[in-house]
Amino acid sequence: MSEAVVQDKKRFVVPIGPQHPALKEPGHFEFTVDGEIVTGATVRLGYAHRGIEKAVESRNWTQSLYLLERICGICSHVHAMTYCLGVEKLAGAEVPPRAQAIRVLVAELERVHSHLLWLGVAAHEAGFDTLFMYSWRDRETVMDLLESFTGNRVNYSANILGGVKCDVTPDLASAILKGVDFLEERSRHYLNVVTTDEVFLQRTRGVGTMSKEVAERLGVVGPTARASGVARDIRIEAPYAAYADFPVQIVLAEAGDLEARFVVRIKELFESYRLIHEVIDKLPPGELQTRMPRKIKAGETISRVEAPRGEAFYFIKSNGSDNPERIKVRTPTLCNMGSVVATAVGHQLADMPMILAGIDPCFSCNDRTVAVRDAAGALVTWESLRQRRLAHQENK
Amino acid sequence: MTSPEERLQAAQQVLASWAGDTQSPEPNRLDVGVAAQNLIAAIEALIGARWGYLSAITGLDLGVEAGQIEVLYHFCEGAAVLTLRVATPRASASVPSVCPLIPSASVFERELVEMMGIQVVGTPDNSRLFLADDWPDDVYPLRKDAVLERGVKEQGNE
Repeated sequence: MSEAVVQDKKRFVVPIGPQHPALKEPGHFEFTVDGEIVTGATVRLGYAHRGIEKAVESRNWTQSLYLLERICGICSHVHAMTYCLGVEKLAGAEVPPRAQAIRVLVAELERVHSHLLWLGVAAHEAGFDTLFMYSWRDRETVMDLLESFTGNRVNYSANILGGVKCDVTPDLASAILKGVDFLEERSRHYLNVVTTDEVFLQRTRGVGTMSKEVAERLGVVGPTARASGVARDIRIEAPYAAYADFPVQIVLAEAGDLEARFVVRIKELFESYRLIHEVIDKLPPGELQTRMPRKIKAGETISRVEAPRGEAFYFIKSNGSDNPERIKVRTPTLCNMGSVVATAVGHQLADMPMILAGIDPCFSCNDRTVAVRDAAGALVTWESLRQRRLAHQENK
Repeated sequence: MTSPEERLQAAQQVLASWAGDTQSPEPNRLDVGVAAQNLIAAIEALIGARWGYLSAITGLDLGVEAGQIEVLYHFCEGAAVLTLRVATPRASASVPSVCPLIPSASVFERELVEMMGIQVVGTPDNSRLFLADDWPDDVYPLRKDAVLERGVKEQGNE
């Protein structure tokens, strides 16, 4: 955390960031302080902005899938799935039930990985590095499962337009169940730790409290909202993929403080473990893909998915050609960022990293023109990458 | 549980006095055209009726020929999605800020201002949210005719 105190005419402003304000991602906050107490906060994002919404307008529907999946390295499956579900709706395609169930399975494994990752980061921010190390060690279990399932630890690329690429074999199914059972036992231990460890509770209980009314007014989403008692989960409200066949039980807490956000996310892990078991037990037989047209019928659609951090919202417009006309992406962190700025006021400056980590922010989701330069400092273009690939293949 | 269709019917009644062109593109969606000067009154009525929450604001450039930009305010309740569509001329794009009613819309409006070049009258914060500090003031990247000159020049260096 970079801290330099700047004296304004009347007030002290403490800039935090843009280099890893809490987690290892860029965002810039300016906190106005009176002594140790925060009296105001502003946010500046965009340090990881890559112009993806603009870029998809000059790519075809298939290329756009790969680009959108790279909006986020943690919930990549969510972005790919939200996009695919929307485009399939526009095309009027019937995706086979097995493919939809596999989408749910990957989504829940991803949620497990994301929540465990968050648990570690949040524990680290509280100075509880033992919990950080253990939760990340255990997270490797689900990362390995995702790798054997899809071939990748991150950016799984499980989706294609019209279905999925990967199938569940009997060996994989038993490996997943075994892994999930191990994680369930570990998660029970973590739930016990975060609700009983006195030192840890000093950092979480009654800190960053957000009432249900404030949460609703600020429009927060996901576990951050549910920890304040707002019953909002797209998997339940508007079931997509196969969630209608595999219903989810909502996890709520009333307290609205950091402790509640820990409890909600860990309890959601148990719900994910249960769902993973259910999907594997009742996996429908059949095809994995349906054929999709290259050009998508003109029209507009909206696709919403419950990402690990809350509602992801896509607006997709097709003009009937093989490129999208417009894709608008609204990620959950953008909705939740407002709550950091609002709840910061009145807290100790030292609580800021915890409050920020409490919403499980994802900056790369939020920011979407990065300029990549080669060793000589020249800008790497799409065409030069293509040439490089062709040269590489020729040399092989 | 109320079905999305019933929820949208309720919304349609609430919005009756301001609704322009109304369409239902999908069973769970309702698109209602609203004039820019009526936007605040329409949203106030939705909030008064406790209908849904503002999920996102989309800027949609209809192109140079159409000469219009549409601003879409997406409200969600359960599976129902209500979209208020406000059309504004490209040359002098302007919509009123919804922040006095929905303070959390500030980030959505900052994005709209810098990406689409729409003046949002009364928005509390016009500073850059995503674009770089040295980004030119008159280039709005998500407009269809945006010339991303700097990128082109630098590409020429190769």
